[in-house]
Amino acid sequence: MTLIKKYIPLAICFLVGLMTLASYYVPNKTSENYLEVMNKWENIVAGFAFLLGLFSLFFSHYNKIRRKVDGWGYSLFVFVGFLVMVVPALMSHGKQMDGTSLTGLGWGYRFMFNALSGTMFSVLAFYIVSTAYRAFRIKSAQAGVLFAAALVLIIGKVPLGQLMWDKLLGWTHLGVTQIVQWLMDVPVVAGRRGIMMGLAVGGIVTALKIIFGIERQYMGKD
Amino acid sequence: MLKTRLNLAVIAVFLAVSSVSAAAPASQKNDLPKPDFAGFEAKDMPYDKGEAVLLTWPAGAADVPGALYQVYAAGADGVWVKADEFPADSRFAADFDLPFWAWKHDSTLHAMQVELPSFFKDFKTGQEYGFKLKYVNGKTSAESAEVKAVAAANMFNLARLNNLVLLVVTIIVFFWTVSHAKRKGLFIRRIAGLDAIDEAIGRATEMGRPIFYSTGIGGMSAIPTIASTSILSEVARKVASYDTQLKVPHFDPIVMTVSKEIVKQAYTEAERPDSYRDDINFFVSQDQFSYAASVDGMIHREKPAACFFIGHFMAESLLLAEVGATTGAIQIAGTEQESQLPFFFTSCDYTLIGEELYAAGAYLSKEPMLLSTLKVQDFGKAFVMFAVGAGSLLLLAGTWFNWQPLLKVVGHIFKAY
Repeated sequence: MTLIKKYIPLAICFLVGLMTLASYYVPNKTSENYLEVMNKWENIVAGFAFLLGLFSLFFSHYNKIRRKVDGWGYSLFVFVGFLVMVVPALMSHGKQMDGTSLTGLGWGYRFMFNALSGTMFSVLAFYIVSTAYRAFRIKSAQAGVLFAAALVLIIGKVPLGQLMWDKLLGWTHLGVTQIVQWLMDVPVVAGRRGIMMGLAVGGIVTALKIIFGIERQYMGKD
Repeated sequence: MLKTRLNLAVIAVFLAVSSVSAAAPASQKNDLPKPDFAGFEAKDMPYDKGEAVLLTWPAGAADVPGALYQVYAAGADGVWVKADEFPADSRFAADFDLPFWAWKHDSTLHAMQVELPSFFKDFKTGQEYGFKLKYVNGKTSAESAEVKAVAAANMFNLARLNNLVLLVVTIIVFFWTVSHAKRKGLFIRRIAGLDAIDEAIGRATEMGRPIFYSTGIGGMSAIPTIASTSILSEVARKVASYDTQLKVPHFDPIVMTVSKEIVKQAYTEAERPDSYRDDINFFVSQDQFSYAASVDGMIHREKPAACFFIGHFMAESLLLAEVGATTGAIQIAGTEQESQLPFFFTSCDYTLIGEELYAAGAYLSKEPMLLSTLKVQDFGKAFVMFAVGAGSLLLLAGTWFNWQPLLKVVGHIFKAY
């Protein structure tokens, strides 16, 4: 049992990891084909896993309706939404367009799904305002620096702010757009690159841990 | 008679002058230099997958502005296809984007690669192809003899030698630190975001509210998602021992399947297998905003005591974290997407920055083998800092003293090919 649950998965992980790593250095057609096969396998597994996901979704919402938990009415919409999209999709053979006209699936996708997705995305604008308000509450020296930098950026990005800067601080001969550009090009880029380098190093070490079987939590413990 | 002779003499002189004047430009044109096709060679393009051929020939006085080279290729059927045309004063071996250890950057040699599948639909690696060059400068033209070459697949991309050396050094350091960890304990600095996990779970237990854990929208092959599942394992073990409620909504069904195993194992290890329920992990949607809307709704209705957002997040990061913040939950987040980190900083109580995300699993598990790998990350960061400093100094010196070879060497060593 240990062989099946532990050693064989670790051996597969080690071999596939090494081969994928080697394919970066081997410009051979064979290594290219190997990567293609791996991608195909991933898609096949994802296809089967999607069915599992679908069952999980239906099961959890069916239980909510059956037990009449708080907000069980929303669970009904999962089934209604599923039928509203799947039935037209079957009728139109999965096509969104029939010549120049929209099929039932295309109509649902364009006028329902896209509209709802767009609505969720637009909510971000309001959340950015509320999160900015929270960020601008100066409770420490670091928060003060953050506020000052953000204030300069806001002033530099809006025409009214630029006008105010020129009227009040024009005598300094420092253009706000140059300051904004400097902030974006120097401190912001330095910070981002520092984080990115740390992430890259962490990513390499995590990959090595998995390939050499030191990190095994993803497959459960022994 | 004399007049006739005089006329004939004038005509003869006129003809002679006109013939000389007409001959002068012609001889001048014929004197235009022609390229030296004696050194024209075709061979397999090195470091490729076997679909290209490299053509080289010496540069010379014929490479003047206005002159052109035309490249022709022919397959087994002998039909010539025009593969390329370019100014004669371009395409030198020195222009190739390959490092100095893998390529001779010779400015006295023309070099170009011909991607054969672009011209031959029935292309096969290992098949012989013919090539010839044509030089055109106004009315002057010259054509090379046909040369033949076979495109072969290469076994090693020598241009990536710098990357391979770095990888080998990393692997050596990796195993050295792992063996070192067995002999001697290691000091690991505190990570506030991870120390707060106990506080968050304790709070949830006291309040009798659930804990939400999101692994983000990455697939199982993404390293942040793997790191997230490691943290989920430790969180689930603590949740099981406190007998608190855990909810893990998923974006990816494969991640859900893996997470189910991880959480089940954690409950077993905490000696609470009876508390494990199969619906702790559940699939929500594979659409980004549908996932965000659904999880937002659940957070809003169930008012969790703690929310974990650890993994790969994009625009939904703020949608999730902001709703969690309005419910008053303790929030711990971590992502590899540096563009989303500001949103987590402002909306969450603790954020794992950069490599802390990858260190979290080891930090929480306290296993010596895993902890030792954190040292590899530290060595890696030290190396990056040293490389940035040394590289900057060398480039500065090279620019200051105008040492082109030094600039070239440093530039090639630090470049990814």
